[in-house]
Amino acid sequence: MFTRFIENLRIAIFSIFANRLRAMLTMLGIIIGILAVTLMGTLISGLDRSFEKSISFMSRDVLFVTKHEWFGDEDWWEVRNRRNLKPEYVEKIKNLSDYVLAAAPLIARTTTVRYRDKSVMAVQTNGTTEEYLQVSTANIETGRFFTAGESRSGAPVCIIGVDVAQELFENEDPLGKKVKFGPHQFRVIGVTEKQGKFLGLFSLDNRAIIPLGTFQKMFARRGWSQIMVKVPAEFVSEAKDELTSVMRRIRGLGPRDRNDFAINEQEAFRSQYNTIKLAIGGTGVFITILSLVVGGIGIMNIMFVSVKERTKEIGVRKALGATPKTIMSQFLLEAVIICGFAGLIGLVLSWFGSLVINRFFPSTMPVWLAAAAFLLSLLVGILSGLAPSYRAARLHPIDALRYE
Amino acid sequence: MTPGALISLKGVTKVYEIGEDQKVHALRGIDAEITAGDYISIMGPSGSGKSTLMNIIGCLDTPTEGIYRLEGEMVHEMDDNQLASIRNRKIGFVFQTFNLLPRSTALRNVELPLIYAGVPVDERREKAEDALKKVGLGDRMDHKPNELSGGQCQRVAIARALITNPSIILADEPTGNLDSKTGVEIMQILVSLQEAGNTIVLVTHEQYIAEHANRVIKLLDGLISDDTSN
Ligand SMILES: Nc1ncnc2c1ncn2[C@@H]1O[C@H](COP(=O)(O)OP(=O)(O)OP(=O)(O)O)[C@@H](O)[C@H]1O
Ligand SMILES: [Mg+2]
Repeated sequence: MFTRFIENLRIAIFSIFANRLRAMLTMLGIIIGILAVTLMGTLISGLDRSFEKSISFMSRDVLFVTKHEWFGDEDWWEVRNRRNLKPEYVEKIKNLSDYVLAAAPLIARTTTVRYRDKSVMAVQTNGTTEEYLQVSTANIETGRFFTAGESRSGAPVCIIGVDVAQELFENEDPLGKKVKFGPHQFRVIGVTEKQGKFLGLFSLDNRAIIPLGTFQKMFARRGWSQIMVKVPAEFVSEAKDELTSVMRRIRGLGPRDRNDFAINEQEAFRSQYNTIKLAIGGTGVFITILSLVVGGIGIMNIMFVSVKERTKEIGVRKALGATPKTIMSQFLLEAVIICGFAGLIGLVLSWFGSLVINRFFPSTMPVWLAAAAFLLSLLVGILSGLAPSYRAARLHPIDALRYE
Repeated sequence: MTPGALISLKGVTKVYEIGEDQKVHALRGIDAEITAGDYISIMGPSGSGKSTLMNIIGCLDTPTEGIYRLEGEMVHEMDDNQLASIRNRKIGFVFQTFNLLPRSTALRNVELPLIYAGVPVDERREKAEDALKKVGLGDRMDHKPNELSGGQCQRVAIARALITNPSIILADEPTGNLDSKTGVEIMQILVSLQEAGNTIVLVTHEQYIAEHANRVIKLLDGLISDDTSN
């Protein structure tokens, strides 16, 4: 058994080596298939990791009241004509709702922030109230947040993200320094902790927070972007229902009117993300199946050629006592080795590929996926080798010996 | 069946079906017995069924009808796996066209039957070297068939047939592809094998080759027309 296996292994490797160009060409489909499935897995693992990391900036127990749904498919014309959200809503919500623990408005624009001769462009600048600290995941690293009084009176104070602090101050202590938001001068009273990048795309630390009153005074009084409402984590959906009816009352909607606002939660991101993930996964699986099928047919084809070319050899081996099973496993082994080798090449290439992906965001090729991909390539080998090796096994010794 | 007979054939026929309704009766009913130690020469005109008979005795082919017993085993009832095992253990076949594996060395060609018998590498290497020395090729072990002359190839084939120490050695026109001088050398090897106790069945067209045999079977149209022992 073992002796015969070694012999078959030897024959297979010898034969592949003798026809290496042909073998290489037919390996291509398998290589691409394995590459596609493993790179897709790496990509998804990286996306998952960066998504989970990113999404943590948004608590599960915070609801976001906005004019329109984040990933909604509402009629844009209808949405456009909706009334803006007003600052008074925050107080009204707190009065009318039983679930609300804290609520803060958030209005945003981008500005260029300067300190002496240094400047940072496109800083995400938010106007909000002192309750923002409770509804957001941002934490103060050094200094303090602004007070209710500063918020109401519109004091020219600001809290900056670590990226901004780094850019403008390097080794200096930013606290108490005067920075300029466009023409307006602000005093830095705090720096927020590092939050990282969202989905590896934009930094959450390239930002500044100023009091709502100040924002309204200094920048154009544009529409409210959103109201963040913190609710008890165990009653998110009840709170969402309640908040909907509260908002309907605030907006003065009749029983037949449709909601002219939306209440979003972290979940919306998650389901949107899952849709994207499914699309990437689906594409990867599609490419994989397609190339494995094409590759498998290619392997089957050269195995048939190989059986035909070696008919006489099969005859000799049979005449000397090789059983049908031995001949069958000889050719099966050859197909499996070709595919397994292709699988290994695919894995090596995809390892390099994952290094490239890793430069864009942290990711690892899941080990189970690499193992599964390798087994898959062996399976393709078995499936595509089955028919040709069965043909070889069934050859009649005399006919095979006479074949020229 | 005579007790002690190595091979016994009874009413063996072989019919080839070509297409729908055309049949070739290659063997029409062969009755024969072969005793251990025999040196039998099969003769007959082309197409008389010599090769067909050899292939059946060599278990490369199965009879359409009839009984084939080899050392008491009912060969005609065997499936492909059992036939493979019989070929491996009990038959040594020497072909007219040598049928060596072109890309393997002489040594590996000779080893092949032992590989399929599952003999471990050291043991089979030793046996293969011995067999090659026996046919006078001790200095050509690592040569491939295309580096050997026809006569040397046929010697490799004989060594390969010998290596499992088979019950019977079958040679179908082993000198057919060789010049007469080389043919004589091959015949001498076969004679010496018979003298060493092997059973040999040989197909030949040459009268002078048949003369070495102690029994000559003549075939005509798929039947035994003459069976003489001397
Ligand atoms: N595979 C086959 N299919 C059909 N007919 C066959 C086959 N093999 C042999 N025959 C026929 O069977 C008959 C016997 O053939 P066989 O090869 O046994 O003759 P032979 O005595 O060996 O002839 P030669 O001396 O030329 O080798 C011939 O008529 C041949 O045509
Ligand atoms: Mg013949």
